Amino acid sequence: MAVLGVASHHELEIRRYPALVYALVPLAALVLQAWLPHVVGRYAWFDFPLVVTVYFALGRRSPIQGTIMGAIMGIFEDALTHYPIGINGIAKTAVGFLAASVGVRVAVENHTVRLVLNFLLSLLSSALVVFIYRFLLGLDLQWEWMGEAFRAIGNSLIAMVLFPFLDRLQVRD
Amino acid sequence: MESFFTRYRNLIVLLAILMVQIVGLAVQVRRTPEGRSSIGERDSAGVRLVRLWADSLVTPPEQLFHSAGQGVLWLWNDYTDLRHTREQNRELQETVARLRLEQAAMLEDAEQGERLQAMLGFQEKYIYTTLPAQAIGSSGSLQSRLFYINKGSNAGLKPDMAVITAEGIVGKIRDAFPATAQVLMVNDQTSGAGVILATTRIRGILTGNASGQLEIVGILADERIQPGERVLTAGGDLIFPRGLPVGTVEKVVRDPVRDGFIEVMVKPDAHLDRLDEVLVITDTQPRFSQQDQQDIATSQAVMGDEAQTIKDQLKASEIMAEHLPGLIDPNLPPDQQPLHDNSNPNPVAHPPQALHPDRFTPESGSDAIRNGDQDNVGHATPSATAKPKENSGTGSGKPAGATPANPRRNP
Repeated sequence: MAVLGVASHHELEIRRYPALVYALVPLAALVLQAWLPHVVGRYAWFDFPLVVTVYFALGRRSPIQGTIMGAIMGIFEDALTHYPIGINGIAKTAVGFLAASVGVRVAVENHTVRLVLNFLLSLLSSALVVFIYRFLLGLDLQWEWMGEAFRAIGNSLIAMVLFPFLDRLQVRD
Repeated sequence: MESFFTRYRNLIVLLAILMVQIVGLAVQVRRTPEGRSSIGERDSAGVRLVRLWADSLVTPPEQLFHSAGQGVLWLWNDYTDLRHTREQNRELQETVARLRLEQAAMLEDAEQGERLQAMLGFQEKYIYTTLPAQAIGSSGSLQSRLFYINKGSNAGLKPDMAVITAEGIVGKIRDAFPATAQVLMVNDQTSGAGVILATTRIRGILTGNASGQLEIVGILADERIQPGERVLTAGGDLIFPRGLPVGTVEKVVRDPVRDGFIEVMVKPDAHLDRLDEVLVITDTQPRFSQQDQQDIATSQAVMGDEAQTIKDQLKASEIMAEHLPGLIDPNLPPDQQPLHDNSNPNPVAHPPQALHPDRFTPESGSDAIRNGDQDNVGHATPSATAKPKENSGTGSGKPAGATPANPRRNP
């Protein structure tokens, strides 16, 4: 199987998971995202919902499922903040769609590919959030790009650990 | 048509979901009269419902994590604390006794201050009703500096209540759900609190920047503002009572947007990164609360006991003084009395001698006494002055009876 090369849709494996995994893993990601910053303080350079969105979108290789997963995760993430609901929703919707679209065309079992994809999609998500804040909504908010870069690195590191663990949960024929 | 939807269904679903969210965003953001966008202070019913769902979904497991973590921490702390409990207890009791006395002393100052403020027409609010709560989670976003506490509207919390710690202010309640509440921290970019610099008495608005630092904005450039100056709440925002500690001035920088203005960077007193237990000010009362009144009564009782002890000690010292040698010793002649001791560092001042003595001169009276003319002295009346005795001459040649009588010197 090609690692980086373009493959046909039928050559790529579509992963399936127990229904409980679809429910509990996103929930755990949301809970950890809300709880861990309280523990680690200013060093909360991670986005568990984004990592989980990317994982399921890549594994399922369905843009529609990736889009819906991203939208749900983003909306719930927004709901925990005091900003309007839909900012992270739009960003993660786009990220889920793109990740699934990439997954359709590229074999992403390789850890390096996953790591790079997570890093790039994290930066894209941050860029989309800034775009929505500043240009779509016209909110005058300052931004710290270094923090976003650290967060992209953190997401990649989490993906390196989390993806192999979640791979074990898939249903095998 | 069917093939169109089948072929582009991914894109259609994506656009549909994006469109719904964009419309939702447009509804939530408002335009100010100045033409700027702003987030509404209060959510609409639909948005609040979504937030409530998210809160209901995330908070229970979050509280479970928090409780488990606290349980392990407390277990370890209890074990370590038990090793020195007895000694600490004794020290704490001594501290409590000392503090009660100090509180009683300060109470009088406070009451005096209250009276003076009443005279000036102020209604000072410095005693509050607070509710302790625990921080259980955060928003999970670097942009939204907001955290959740384990008390909500069921505990009487309402939006816009101030949240503080013993060190300083933390934020305000943004929304209260039944079992939890959102606290918007003072270092969020959308937050704002009225503050005053303690020394220079310059007022400004405290807010946060992108990296979560506190800064005071809207201040004209002023050289008097120096690092290290204390920052307190000004009390004009109707959220934070006046005089609460906020932090210390860290540095002063120029406002990058407005000429002539500066931004004062503030180091917060409260540890905003590591909040565990907070106090929510549920009510600001102009008078002492019931609990405070009980504490004050206890202090006054303690103070009363202390005063009685001091009084008893004074009485005992007086009794002792009566039994000790006094200033007048009946066994000694008058010129050797301790009162006339020349070693006294503070001798009694005598009036200067008169140049032309007359009948009112004290010397003649003294001579009269010294010569034993008790009758003339004791009954010094105008009639007696008219009939002076011949043998009662004095050194000055004046009639002794002319000396003004001093009834106190009568034997």
